[in-house]
Amino acid sequence: MKATTQELKVTARMQPGIITLSGFLGDDTRPLNEIVADDAATLARLERSAEEIAQRMQYFTDESWNTYLGGVLLDDKYQVETEVYRGKLPCPYVHPGVFRKAITRLTNSANGISVAWTALSIHLIAEHGFFEGRGSAFRLDPEILVKALWD
Amino acid sequence: MILVILKDIAVLAGLSGALALLLVLAQSILNNYGECKININGKRDLTVKGGNNLLASLSDKAVFLPSACGGRGSCGACKCKVFSGGGPLLPTEKPFLSQAEIAAGVRLSCQIKVKTDIAIEIPESVYNIRKYSATISEIIDYTYDIKGITFMLEQGDSIDFKAGQYVQLLTEPYGKVRQRVSRAYSVSSKPEDRDRIQLIIRLVPEGICTTWVHTQLKVGDKVSFTGPYGDFFMRDTAADIIFVAGGSGKAPIKSMLEHLQLVGTSRKMTYFFGARTLRDLYLTQEMKAFEQVFPDFRYEPVLSQPQPTDEWHGKTGYVMPYFKEVLRDPQNTEAYLCGSPGMIDAVTKALLELGLSKDKIYFDSFG
Amino acid sequence: MMDISSFLLFWAAIFTSNILLTNFLGMCSYLSVSREVESSLGLGVAVTFVLTFTTALNWLAYYYVLVPLNIVYLQYIVFIIVIAAFVQLLELLLERYVPALYYTLGIFLPLITVNCAIFGVSLFMVIRNYNFLQSIAFGAGSGLGWLLAILMLAGIRSRLKEKLIPAGLQGAGIILIITGILALAFIGFSGVAPIQ
Repeated sequence: MKATTQELKVTARMQPGIITLSGFLGDDTRPLNEIVADDAATLARLERSAEEIAQRMQYFTDESWNTYLGGVLLDDKYQVETEVYRGKLPCPYVHPGVFRKAITRLTNSANGISVAWTALSIHLIAEHGFFEGRGSAFRLDPEILVKALWD
Repeated sequence: MILVILKDIAVLAGLSGALALLLVLAQSILNNYGECKININGKRDLTVKGGNNLLASLSDKAVFLPSACGGRGSCGACKCKVFSGGGPLLPTEKPFLSQAEIAAGVRLSCQIKVKTDIAIEIPESVYNIRKYSATISEIIDYTYDIKGITFMLEQGDSIDFKAGQYVQLLTEPYGKVRQRVSRAYSVSSKPEDRDRIQLIIRLVPEGICTTWVHTQLKVGDKVSFTGPYGDFFMRDTAADIIFVAGGSGKAPIKSMLEHLQLVGTSRKMTYFFGARTLRDLYLTQEMKAFEQVFPDFRYEPVLSQPQPTDEWHGKTGYVMPYFKEVLRDPQNTEAYLCGSPGMIDAVTKALLELGLSKDKIYFDSFG
Repeated sequence: MMDISSFLLFWAAIFTSNILLTNFLGMCSYLSVSREVESSLGLGVAVTFVLTFTTALNWLAYYYVLVPLNIVYLQYIVFIIVIAAFVQLLELLLERYVPALYYTLGIFLPLITVNCAIFGVSLFMVIRNYNFLQSIAFGAGSGLGWLLAILMLAGIRSRLKEKLIPAGLQGAGIILIITGILALAFIGFSGVAPIQ
């Protein structure tokens, strides 16, 4: 599917050095809409919606927000900690709003999976169904993410 | 036959050319707004070439309104009051303005196009903001992810700021990064050193500016920054002080303490530095030295997750439980907090419970 | 030359031969912009403005340039070029004098160029041999007819907001059905004033 001008604009903003150091697309050569579509297909197979996943991520971030200098253990198996750095970043999709640089790291001791996400990741998943390109610093593979968040 | 084709093509080309010429003419007339006057605070007049947005026009004349997104209409930081000449309110501005602001004439300066004379009002502190050129004179590795960098201003230049304020550092393109960005850092040197500033910069994962600072900058490099910004600074009272700041949040506190050392004070002060492990502590000697300088100052590093190898015998856990040990009169105590929003929320809650009043708790919540 | 007064042609173009509801030209921006009444009004006025002037300009181009120089076969290209140039001019004027409308319309302003109603009206003018006054009347009337159609749909859509519509018909489905019903209503006018 040919990329619209809007998509080309967004893809340009996802390049390294525009908003973050290595950008949001990693070394993925697929066009943006294909990345979103492929991940959407995985989500359908896993029977989880993007909104559900984003809500769960937000829950973990909120629970670990005030325990700023260490982590918190939830449900006896989720070790979560959130670290916030100064400043805010805009979303690569062009619309109003900026997001804190808050990095949440979660380790699921039941299956040993560790994932990390930012406040912007939660927004990208909830509003745009975007899990970042393969090889990107904060790429969240939907399958691994779902396993870490729920299993 | 050929002649007919050529004639037809010529007519078509002529018609297109004539229309294009007409459009170019119209463009130069309609898009030419001539020179416009921007009146600031009723005092100063700037003459700019019309046609650019207000934010850019002002920054061309060295008046820097705060902006986190570079004028793209994403952050809402570039607000200013427009008395006249701003044109109608645009749909791109509405998401960032409250009803009260709209009624008062507040606009987003990056969305207003300067087409005619315009009268605006900006706060005095913003008005003092300038662009500076500096050379790096020292880089200190404080910890594994924090560097302290001293920037000497150009010969004869000086900067006027209050301890606690911050500047916006401008990066140069490097590696895969082809654009410039600007990022905020608190000044860690005292205001009395007017020919230089020191910044304490912590490496942020995926950060464009901090990666540039940590991997590219060397002593002797030239950089630019704008400032000073911010309303986080010490109030001149006799109240007791509780400082809470961890990581790179130590920067404004260091500036405040060095300033107080010069002007002298008898206020009772305690600085709680919250960190995770031993390797996150830095400038400990300097802070401890302040205990000898001031009549009543204590530096209290608190580690939340000390490693066995740290052999830490000091305070552990979070800083909040230790407040009541140093609190004398909650109503006569100020708190200065610098750090993540989570820390600010947790510490503020604890301080309010201990009886401090909300308007005496000052913070710089990292953006 | 058509034997119909310009005055009658003007009204016929609005009601009995509505460019959108009778000829089904100009649907794309009609379907998208009719979400809001205010922007529909703005776009409708812009389209009317463009239609009136481009029909007049194209008439002049056809009878004073194309016909004398025997390049009538280039009319498609020439008409489109004139329309494109005129819409660009309109954009410049709006950006300068009515910026609120310029930003509200956004991408739909340059999209007027490829609105088939504009091109269609110029071609109708040629096919039906209108004179200059008739062309202006026809252009203005078609514009107002388009404005009428989009305003009607915008009004209906604003009332639809709280109504329950079956899932399969939501969005484009119900809009097209409504447009069809509006067209049916306008068919009642057919034959009242023959303009071709």
